[in-house]
Amino acid sequence: MRENGDMRIAYTISGIGHAAVLLWSVWSLAAKPLPAPPSEALPVDIVTVSDFTKITAGNKSAPNAETPKPLVEQVAEPKPVEDTTAKLDKKEVKAVREPPPAPEAKPVEAKPEKKQAETKPDQIAEALTKDESKKPEPKKAEAKPPAPPKKPAPPTPKFDPKQVEALLDKRTATRVAAAGDTLNNTASLGLPNAGAAQMSLSELDALRQRLANKWNPPAGAKDPQELVVQVQVRFKPDGTLAARPQVLSSGTSPLSIAARDSAVRALYAGQPFDMLKPEHYEQWKEIEITFDPRSMIRGY
Amino acid sequence: MIEPASAASWHALSRRRLIMLGAGAAAGTLAGLSPQRATAVLKLDVTSGNVQPIPIAVPDFVSVATQDPAAGRNVSQIIASNLQRSGLFAPIDQAAYIEKILTIDTLPRFADWRQINAQALVTGRVTQGDGRLKAEFRLWDVFAGQHLHGQQYTTTPDNWRRIAHIISDAIYERLTGEKGYFDSRVVFVDESGPKDRRIKRLALMDQDGANVRYLTRGDDLVLTPRFSSTADTITYMSYGQGDPKVYLMNIETGQREIVSNFPGMSFSPRFSPDSQRVIFSLQRGGNSNLFVMDLRSKATTRLTDTQVIDTAPSYSPDGTRITFESDRGGQQQIYVMAANGGQAQRISFGDGAYSTPVWSPRGDYIAFTKQAQGRFAIGIMRPDGSGERILTEGYHNEGPTWSANGRVVMLFRDPGGNSGPTLYTVDVTGRNEQLLKTPSYASDPSWSPLLQSRF
Repeated sequence: MRENGDMRIAYTISGIGHAAVLLWSVWSLAAKPLPAPPSEALPVDIVTVSDFTKITAGNKSAPNAETPKPLVEQVAEPKPVEDTTAKLDKKEVKAVREPPPAPEAKPVEAKPEKKQAETKPDQIAEALTKDESKKPEPKKAEAKPPAPPKKPAPPTPKFDPKQVEALLDKRTATRVAAAGDTLNNTASLGLPNAGAAQMSLSELDALRQRLANKWNPPAGAKDPQELVVQVQVRFKPDGTLAARPQVLSSGTSPLSIAARDSAVRALYAGQPFDMLKPEHYEQWKEIEITFDPRSMIRGY
Repeated sequence: MIEPASAASWHALSRRRLIMLGAGAAAGTLAGLSPQRATAVLKLDVTSGNVQPIPIAVPDFVSVATQDPAAGRNVSQIIASNLQRSGLFAPIDQAAYIEKILTIDTLPRFADWRQINAQALVTGRVTQGDGRLKAEFRLWDVFAGQHLHGQQYTTTPDNWRRIAHIISDAIYERLTGEKGYFDSRVVFVDESGPKDRRIKRLALMDQDGANVRYLTRGDDLVLTPRFSSTADTITYMSYGQGDPKVYLMNIETGQREIVSNFPGMSFSPRFSPDSQRVIFSLQRGGNSNLFVMDLRSKATTRLTDTQVIDTAPSYSPDGTRITFESDRGGQQQIYVMAANGGQAQRISFGDGAYSTPVWSPRGDYIAFTKQAQGRFAIGIMRPDGSGERILTEGYHNEGPTWSANGRVVMLFRDPGGNSGPTLYTVDVTGRNEQLLKTPSYASDPSWSPLLQSRF
């Protein structure tokens, strides 16, 4: 009986102790993450978007003249790649050096090559993105390209044409170029983009600063909740509004209408948003902006 | 022998509980840690703004067939002056205007107005015919190039000032989201004559100081005039012969009526929000208590029964509570109680004495006079006593009264010496303090709600 009593006490103590630890973990671990994410959520979004944009931005830089978006799609999908090769083939004729075998090989080998090329580029792209921060990228690109070319050796003629000129300028090796088209595309894109393509936080901060400066929220509202306005904004590449900002938050009270107008007015008055760099246009062409004055008018 | 079994079951139970508790805790932890889903559209939070007066352009209204060729200009000038006094707008100097508004039937050239940084533009027209005055206005958002508001009013020509005030209110409400207060009046005690023989008369004027009119001749001493919610009646205290009494007066007809014909001194009257009752204090002996009288049945109800001085009652805008000052704690402090009396709760706890509480028509604040260290301050606090803020402070400030929208407080200030009191307005933020010009010294202002009669 006595043992039972002791045991009970022991169990009780241990139970309470465990419960306390668990409760503590519930509160301390579960409660803390909540406040932090909102502020950090922005950078995370930016990074993911930038991944896409790197590719897109690279496309931009490559053509220089037109169609940044289509290039992105091409990279993602196999068909566009074929098209590019076809166009390049024409150029090959001019080059004349190695292309002769290409025409025959195309139909049979083209598809398998492309698939390989597609699957590999992704890995490389990822590797590149990871390594982007380091400048030595070009070297890596050179180093890695050789590996893929070995396997798809036959396709070389087709791929060469794509960016033969660029490749020729940089290197003398002809075969490497074949596998290199896909690789080079990402690599070359990655190089110029790596440093500049990512929309920087300072750009966003500058935008926020401009808007905060131009935004004159109705002050002294009794219920500031009504003042929170969410606006979807589409920009033109020159940093001006592409269309009237679309207000997402609903609200029909005079106060929310006044708040809505003040937010839209800030957007109009802040144009052009020249702190947004054109090379990052893909990222900022559409932004969802929340105007929330509650922290500034708490208790007036 | 039963015990071990029960102990065992207890163990089992407790274990199960603990496991469940642990599972719950784990789930809670996981839920807390689960990452937020990332979305593709770039998002941005703007949590601070630049609160400043809205730059607004108010070009002269177009006058059509008006007796006074400057009628349009007069209206627009009153509007600009109203907006400027509110502190929320910054009318732009007419000299800077590029486009001259000759008609309101075509779109203004927004680029011209954008260039002088106007965010809003008011155009209007005043037309006279058949002895009637028609005023129309349009409010434009310059940057968005958008029509925000437009309205027209018809009245007799001598009401042109009110039209300007009403248009001001419409602009104010559309751009700030809050009701305006320009179409309102102020009743106050006009003080003239040398300091030792002051003549005090009840006077009425527009909110901007125009159209001053005297309601009494100055034979009797008058104090604490207060507007009813219908803005056509006031209640006030008057010292004629004998004890001070509480009166009602219709400001349109001038008709007077005595409210409290009791022995003793009745003072500090104020209307209930529905204007059906008047609450006041009645002094008998050394103490004063709060009473309320139904104006139709004349039935009087006692609200407090103390041996101290309870006075300066003011209803909450919903009529369910009353705030008043009392020295029941040894010093004047502000209390809140239910409208039918009962337990009162003290809400003022700062240093010094608090008096003359006035509930904001918006319900969110109570304005008061605070006396500490020989200085008088006007401040506001929430009805629960929190958020106390001093709006203005000085040698002598007293008698706060609220604008119709609860955004502005009017008070009177006496600098001491041989001069007399003058009226000031100050924003609830404590900014934008402005002198309100009166013909002579003025005290005890009471600000009316928005006028209801539409001409």
